[in-house]
Amino acid sequence: MPLRHRSLALSLAGLATASALLLAGCSADAGPSDTPATPVAGGTLTYATGFGEPTCLDPHVGGNMPQALVGTNVLESLFSQDETGAIVPWLAESGVAAEDGLSWDVTLRDGIAFTDGTPMDAAAVAANVAHMKDPETASSTAILALGKVSSVEVVSPTVARFVLSEPDSALLESLAQTWLAMESPAGLERGMGANCEAPIGTGPFVFSEWVKQDHVTLTRNDDWTSAPAGATHEGPAYLDTIEWRFIPDPATRFAALQSGEVDVIDEMQPDNVVAATADGSGLDVLTGALPGASIRLELNSGYAPFDDESVRKAFIAAADVNPGIQSLFFGTVERSYSVLSSSTPFGASFEDDYAIDADRANQLLDEAGWTSRDSEGYRTKDGERLTVDFPVSTNQSIPAEVSLFEQIQATTKAVGFDVELHPMDLSSWYAALGSWDFDLTSAIYTKNSPDVLRILYDSENIIPAPSGYHPNNAHVSIPELDDAVTAAGQTTDPDERAALYEKAQQLLADGAYVLPLYDHLQKIGYGDRVQGLSLLPTLQIPYFGDTWVSE
Amino acid sequence: MSLPPVSTVAAVAPADRRGRRMIGPAQWVAVAVLALLVVAAVAPAVLAPGDPFAIAPVDAFLSPRWGHPLGTDESGRDIYTRIVHGAGTSLVIGVAATAIGIVLALVLGLAAALGGRFVDFGVNRLLEVLFAFPGLLLALLVITVYGPGIVTSTIAVGLATAPGYARIIRAQARSVATSPYVEAAVVLGRSRGRILVRHILPNAVLPVFVLVTLGVGQAIVWAAALSYLGLGASPPAAEWGAMLYAGKNYLATAWWMTFFPGLAIVLAAAATTVLGRALQTRGAR
Amino acid sequence: MRGGALRGGALRGGALRVGALRVAAALGGAVFVLWAAATLTFFGLRLIPGDPAQAVLGGPGSQASAEALAAVRTEYGFDQPIWVQYLRYLGRLVSGDLGSSYSQRQSVASIIGSQIGGTLLLAVLALTVAWLLALGLAVWSTRGGRVAAAVGSGLEIVAAAVPHFWLATVLVLVFSTTLRWFPAVSTDAPAGLVLPVLTLALPLAGFLGQVMRESVLDALEAPFVLSARARGEGEAGVRWRHVLRHGALPGIALSGWAFGWLISGAVVVETIFARPGLGRTLLNAVQLRDVPLVIGVVLVVAVGYVAMTLLTDVVSRIADPRLAGVRA
Repeated sequence: MPLRHRSLALSLAGLATASALLLAGCSADAGPSDTPATPVAGGTLTYATGFGEPTCLDPHVGGNMPQALVGTNVLESLFSQDETGAIVPWLAESGVAAEDGLSWDVTLRDGIAFTDGTPMDAAAVAANVAHMKDPETASSTAILALGKVSSVEVVSPTVARFVLSEPDSALLESLAQTWLAMESPAGLERGMGANCEAPIGTGPFVFSEWVKQDHVTLTRNDDWTSAPAGATHEGPAYLDTIEWRFIPDPATRFAALQSGEVDVIDEMQPDNVVAATADGSGLDVLTGALPGASIRLELNSGYAPFDDESVRKAFIAAADVNPGIQSLFFGTVERSYSVLSSSTPFGASFEDDYAIDADRANQLLDEAGWTSRDSEGYRTKDGERLTVDFPVSTNQSIPAEVSLFEQIQATTKAVGFDVELHPMDLSSWYAALGSWDFDLTSAIYTKNSPDVLRILYDSENIIPAPSGYHPNNAHVSIPELDDAVTAAGQTTDPDERAALYEKAQQLLADGAYVLPLYDHLQKIGYGDRVQGLSLLPTLQIPYFGDTWVSE
Repeated sequence: MSLPPVSTVAAVAPADRRGRRMIGPAQWVAVAVLALLVVAAVAPAVLAPGDPFAIAPVDAFLSPRWGHPLGTDESGRDIYTRIVHGAGTSLVIGVAATAIGIVLALVLGLAAALGGRFVDFGVNRLLEVLFAFPGLLLALLVITVYGPGIVTSTIAVGLATAPGYARIIRAQARSVATSPYVEAAVVLGRSRGRILVRHILPNAVLPVFVLVTLGVGQAIVWAAALSYLGLGASPPAAEWGAMLYAGKNYLATAWWMTFFPGLAIVLAAAATTVLGRALQTRGAR
Repeated sequence: MRGGALRGGALRGGALRVGALRVAAALGGAVFVLWAAATLTFFGLRLIPGDPAQAVLGGPGSQASAEALAAVRTEYGFDQPIWVQYLRYLGRLVSGDLGSSYSQRQSVASIIGSQIGGTLLLAVLALTVAWLLALGLAVWSTRGGRVAAAVGSGLEIVAAAVPHFWLATVLVLVFSTTLRWFPAVSTDAPAGLVLPVLTLALPLAGFLGQVMRESVLDALEAPFVLSARARGEGEAGVRWRHVLRHGALPGIALSGWAFGWLISGAVVVETIFARPGLGRTLLNAVQLRDVPLVIGVVLVVAVGYVAMTLLTDVVSRIADPRLAGVRA
C-alpha cells in the first residue's frame, strides 16, 4: 500500500503535494493497489478531538481551534484556499479591490440558503460582519482579522462592499477562515445563548445536538449545494451523522482509535503517529502544517534579562533543540528556522542565526556582564541570578513540547541560565502574558496569511487589545519592521510582498527575538473504514463532505 | 486519591488478631522498604549516583535494561535515578501534609475533648460539615482558591485529612480524660494544663504516632494523585506523581514510565500501612 | 466493643434515642451540615485574592469585559455589604439556583443535572461490586486457615494502598492495550463500564474486606454463634444466617463514607476513561477556576453524602438485631 506512507512524507514539498492530491479527490485509501471504492451513503462517523470542548459553537464568539474544527463542516466561509494558499471561491464567486484599495466588492454565489431557509445574500454578510465586530459578541479572532474593515454595504443582493480604513491585502484570506464563517442572520438574532448552542450555516452538516462534556452530533444537510473547490462530488454528504466526542487524554484517544471505538482522532502524540503508520496497524494518518506562525519560543525583549540582545543571542546559541526534536517527535516533525509555518507563503529561513555554540554563548554572557556564578552554577550579575521565567500553557503545548522545554532548560543551564518552567492553566497563562510577567513563552497563532507577521511583531501590538491580549509577546519594536509589515499588508504585488516579508523576518532572526522550533502540525489518525477524508487547506481542518464509511 | 479516610478509619479499626505476632515477614519487608525510602530521601546518591535531571535525547524511551534497570523517559533521563531522587520530595510532601493535618487535628481534637461541652459540640459540628466534602473534594476546593502547585497541593492534602484525624484524637483524648488516673489527678486538684501535659498527652502520643505512620503513605498517594491530575508538582520535578503525569502520555509505547513510579507509590503506601497497623497492635497490648 | 467504635458515624451519636425524635434530630443535623457547608464555601470564595467578580468569570486572565464584570457585580451583589450578599446567596441556593458557569456559558444546575447520572451509575456499580468482593473475601479468608488469612489480609492492604490512577493505568495496559478485552474509553455499554468500575471497586473492596473480616471473626466467636452450633445448625447455615449478617454491618455503616470516597475517586476515573460525569466536570472546573461550577458540584456532593449517611443509618438499624431490639 504505497500511499499509506504518503502521510509521512513530511518534507515541506511533500506536505503541499499531499494536501493537493488529497483535496484533488485522491483519498488516502484509494491507492492503486486498492480496489476502486465506490462511495456508500449512510452511516455514522465518530470523531474524537483532543483540542477540547468549545464553550460556544459559534466561532465568532472568542474564536479558537476547537470551534473551527467542529464548525468547519457546518459553517462555510466566503472564500477558501487551495494548497498553494491561493484564494478560491466558496460562498462568494469573487472579491475585487477598488483602485485605491479602500473597498472590496465581494460577489456572492446565487441561490445558496442557510439551513433555516434564510438566503445567504449580501445582507447576511453585512449582518455577520456586524455581529463579529459587536463588542457584545466578545470576538477575539474575527475582530482582529476585520481590524481594517469599517463597514459592509449591501450593493445588491449578491454584492457586498467591504469598506476599509486602509488597504488590506489579506482581507480575502481572513474571510476564508472558519472564525469568519457565515451564519444565518435569523440564527444570530436568537441571541448569544441559543446561537452558541447551534449556530446555523450553509454546510454539509447541521448541529443537531450538543450534550455537554460528551458529544456534539452533526446531521447531514440534504439540501447542501455549496461544496468547496476541490471537492470530489456535488450534492449532499455521504455520512448520515458525525458524532463529535471529547477525549482530552491523548493516550486514551489513541487507544479508542485502535479499538475502533472512534473512527478519527486529532492531536496525535508523535509516538502514536509512528504506531499508526506502521504496516498492519489498520490505521492511517493525515498530516498538514497549520498555517500562521510556526511553533516558536518568543524572548520578551522588553524586560531584563532579554532586553539585552547579547543575552538573547547567548540563549539561542545555547538552546540545543535538534536532538530533542528528533527523539521526542520520532522524526514526525522537521526543525524549522522560519517564524512562518511552511504552509504559509513568504516564509524565510535563517539557519545560521540559530547555530548552537556554547563557547559563543558563554562569551556573550561574559561580555554582557553576567560573569559570576552562584553555588548552583547559575550566572549572576549584581547579585541577581540569570533567571528566565517561562510560563507554559498546558492547554496549548502538547506533552512532547513541554518535554522539549525541559530539555532547553537543561541545555541552557550549562551556560548558566536558570530557566524556570511554570506550567499553568490557560487563564493564568493569559494573565501572565497580559502583565508581561514572563521572559520566554510559546504562543500559538494560527492565521492563513503572512500578515500574521504584522499581528505578532508590529510594535503597535505591544499595546494590548481591549481584550487584554497583546499578540507581540516578544515586545519587538523596530520601526523598519513596522514599516515592512505594514507596507506588505497594503500591496498586492507578490514580489514586493515577498521582499518586504523577508526583510521583516531577517530583522527578527538577526535580533534574536524568536527561536523557531517546528511547524504546528495537524495530525489526524483514522481507521481503515474511513474513506475520502481530507484536510481543507485553509486551516488544515478535516473535511467530511466527501467522506464515507465502508462496512 | 486513594484512601486517606481509610488510614483514619483503619486507625480505629481493630488490629488483625491473627497477626498478634507484631513482627512477621510482612513487617520486616515494610521496615526494609521504609528504610530504603529514608536512605533515598537523605542520601539519594548512595543508591543512585546519577543526575536525575541529566538529559540524553539519544537515549530516550529505552526499555528496562542493563544500565537503565527501569528504563528511561522521553528525555533519556534514567527512571531508577529519578525515582530514588524523587523519594525525598515525595516523602517531604507526605510528611508535611500529614503534619499539617495532625497539628490541626490535635488542636481541634484536644479542644473538643477537654474544652467542655460547648466546645465539643462546636468542633463536632464543624467536623461533620468537613466530612461532607469527602476526600479529594476539600483538596480541590483549596486548589480552586489558591491555584495549583506543589505547596498548595501539600496544604490541600493536609487540610483534607485533618477532620478524620481530629475525630480519632478526640475519641482517644476523651477516653484518657475519663480514665481513673486522670480523675485521680483532678481529685488531687492538679491544674488543667498540668493534667494535659503530664497525663493526657503522653497517653495520646502512641496513637498519634500510629496515625502519622498510616497517614504519611496515604498523603503521598494523595499528593501524587493531585500531581497526576496536573494540579500538584509538575515535570521535570522528580516527584513520583509528576513522573506519572509525564508518563501517562506514553502508556502505549513506554509503559515503564508510568508503571515504576506508580509501583514506588504503592510500595511506600503499603509499607506505612503495614507498619502502622503493627504499631497499633503493639499499642493495643 | 469494636463494631461500636467503628459505627460511631457523624449522625449516629444519639443512636440509642427513640423513634421520631431521633429522625427529626438526624434531619435537623443534615440541614445544619448543608447550611454550614454552603456557608463555608461562600466565605471560601472570599479568600480568593483579587476581585470576586473576576473570580466568578474565571480569574484575571479571563479577559472579561468591563460590562461583564459590572453585570456580575450586580448579579452577585458584590457592591452590597457582605451579609446582604450572604443572605442572597442562601436565598438563591434554597431556590435551587447555583449560579452560572462562565466556562460553559450555562447554568450550573443544568450542567450538574446532565452529568450526575453517569457518576451515580458508576458509584452504585462500584459500591455493589466492592461489597460482593469484600464479603466474599472476608468469608473465604476467615475459613481457609492461615494461608488464606495471610493472602486475604495481604491483598487487602495492597488493594487499599493502590491509587486509582495507577490501577486504572495498569488495567488499561493489560485489558485494553494488550488483551483488547475492554475499551479504554468508557461508555454506558456494559463492556465500557468494566474497567472504570473495577478501578473504583478494587481498592474499596480491599478496605471494606479488612473491616468485614474483623466482624466476621468477632461473630464466629460470639455467643449466639456458639449457641446456634450447639443447637446443631449446619456450618453453612451459621455462616449465612449469623456471621455474614454480622460481618456486613460495618460495611453498611461505612457505605456513606464509601460513597463520598467513590465520588472523589470518580474525578480520576472519569478523566482517565474519558467518561462524562460530575468528577470530570469538577476537575475541568478546578483547572479553569470556574468557581460557580466548582462550588455547585461540591455542594451537590455534600447533599449526596448527607443523604447517604442518613440512609446507611436507617439500613444499619434494620440489619442490626441489637439496634432493632432497642427500637422495638
